Amino acid sequence: MLEVQEVTKTFALGAERVVALADVTLALGEGEVATVIGSNGAGKTTLLNVIAGVCRPDRGRVVLAGWDITRWPVHKRAHLIGRVFQDPLRGTAAGMTVLENLALASRKGRRGLWPLVHRHRRQSLYAAVAQLGMGLEKRLQEKVAHLSGGERQALTVLMATLTRPKLLLLDEHTAALDPANAEKVVRITEELVRENRITTIMVTHRMDQAIAVGERLVMMHKGRVVLDLGAGEKRRLQVEDLVALFRSLGVSDDALLLVRNGSGCKGDGDLGHLLASRQPTSTARP
Amino acid sequence: MLFLHAVEQGLIYGLMALGVYLSFRVLSFPDLSVDGTLPLGAAVAALLVLRGFSPYVALLGAFGAGLVAGAFTGALATRLRIPGLLAGVLTMIMLYSLNLRIMGRPNLSLLGRPSALLRLATTLAVPKGYEVLVTSGIFAGGALLLLLLFLFTELGGAMRAVGQNPDMVRTLGIAPENLVVLGLALANGLVALSGAFVAQYSGFADVGMGIGTIVAGLASVMIGELLLRPRGICTHLVAVMVGSVGYRLAISLALRYGATLGFTASDLRLLTALVVLGALAAPVIRAALRGEEA
Repeated sequence: MLEVQEVTKTFALGAERVVALADVTLALGEGEVATVIGSNGAGKTTLLNVIAGVCRPDRGRVVLAGWDITRWPVHKRAHLIGRVFQDPLRGTAAGMTVLENLALASRKGRRGLWPLVHRHRRQSLYAAVAQLGMGLEKRLQEKVAHLSGGERQALTVLMATLTRPKLLLLDEHTAALDPANAEKVVRITEELVRENRITTIMVTHRMDQAIAVGERLVMMHKGRVVLDLGAGEKRRLQVEDLVALFRSLGVSDDALLLVRNGSGCKGDGDLGHLLASRQPTSTARP
Repeated sequence: MLFLHAVEQGLIYGLMALGVYLSFRVLSFPDLSVDGTLPLGAAVAALLVLRGFSPYVALLGAFGAGLVAGAFTGALATRLRIPGLLAGVLTMIMLYSLNLRIMGRPNLSLLGRPSALLRLATTLAVPKGYEVLVTSGIFAGGALLLLLLFLFTELGGAMRAVGQNPDMVRTLGIAPENLVVLGLALANGLVALSGAFVAQYSGFADVGMGIGTIVAGLASVMIGELLLRPRGICTHLVAVMVGSVGYRLAISLALRYGATLGFTASDLRLLTALVVLGALAAPVIRAALRGEEA
């Protein structure tokens, strides 16, 4: 379904050149769900950006559902790809109603002079929201700005999967939520993905999540795929195995504490992770 | 009499205020080209009427000219990546020269020429004295209704989303740039249409008539929001129209009774700008009074 072939991407950081992706090759079958972990700067987000078309690779190809989409602009790929970001505010239009947001998503890319919220469509959208089990179906006429972060992110996941895209990209989409809501959104995501058989890449900072969700696990480090496990191997995997692996790669324990906790404090800068690493952890090794 | 004229003007300029609402509130694009597109509409409409075209055709011509000018601003902002404010100013300045060229001189008189407002009144046999009030109401109401319907279509809905979250629109498979161009075209089309009505209403087109249009438009939008506190799109559009009428009424009152307070007609723009300034500053001041960071 998805083939990332020998993709290389470097960024200029001042006079320095940073290799974000070094010859990355990855293939996912239809309906396959892969989690991607890695320390900061491992290239996870760059990989998603290259697949989504936000940045172009220096070398290599991206093939999705038989199309070579390497040079397609973002909005053209959007018909094939759904994407959910960490920030719940990014996926929805705050000033529009729940129903309008859903209707926009269900009409993906089409923009005629038909009514946005059509009577026939209302039924199916109602059913789709009810499926989330959050009571949002009773709040269809409310503005999205009134929803909580968890509700908004659940709605975003639903919107991203509504047109059954070939590929779903999840970029730490539960990291900004409290544990209970994160749990809920992950469950909703798994249900929607399984039901619609959508090939999915989920980047996460939480090792337990990376192991629990999906049938593939990919670990990235310094722009390379260093581990790629299938369902069989993944089932036997423990958080501690991953920690040991990270250690062997020379990732410092300080950086790891955060990753193991899944505290989700990774800010845009590295300040959050520095602070978090100084705090005692409850998940000390047995 | 005074109030009648103020209401008529409020309805006619209300079309302009709808355009400003579309660019400022819906697209979140501070479009200053309206100072040029209002007289553009007036100039095109005046020229067409003087050339013997029907006043209705003149309205269409003005609307079309506004569409092109707005799309131009949109193209500057999205294709050439010129900051929105500057793109609007550039269009506005270019239009000043262009308007002079269209008219051939700084102003054109339309005295004794047919006006769409009066012609429609004759067709509908509107009672004497209320001709312009009724017909300007019909035109303004019609434009409001069309805009309202548009904003509830797939295209219009996407346009509303662009102003709030362009990233989302892109992930939904639409290039937000195209929607900005289209939205600005429509907004300036409305403003130019308003200019055409103003020319036919006041009996002349003048190259300087557009100065301060943007401030008047914003004042109308904000007065409407203050008066009706709209929540949905529908009430918001009505509020803009009400705000426009309210604004013209306030001006009439200021012109009528301002003299006793020591104001003259030349202070009008200062006062208008102060109204807008007050509306813009209100949230900051309110927060400061509550002791919060705005």
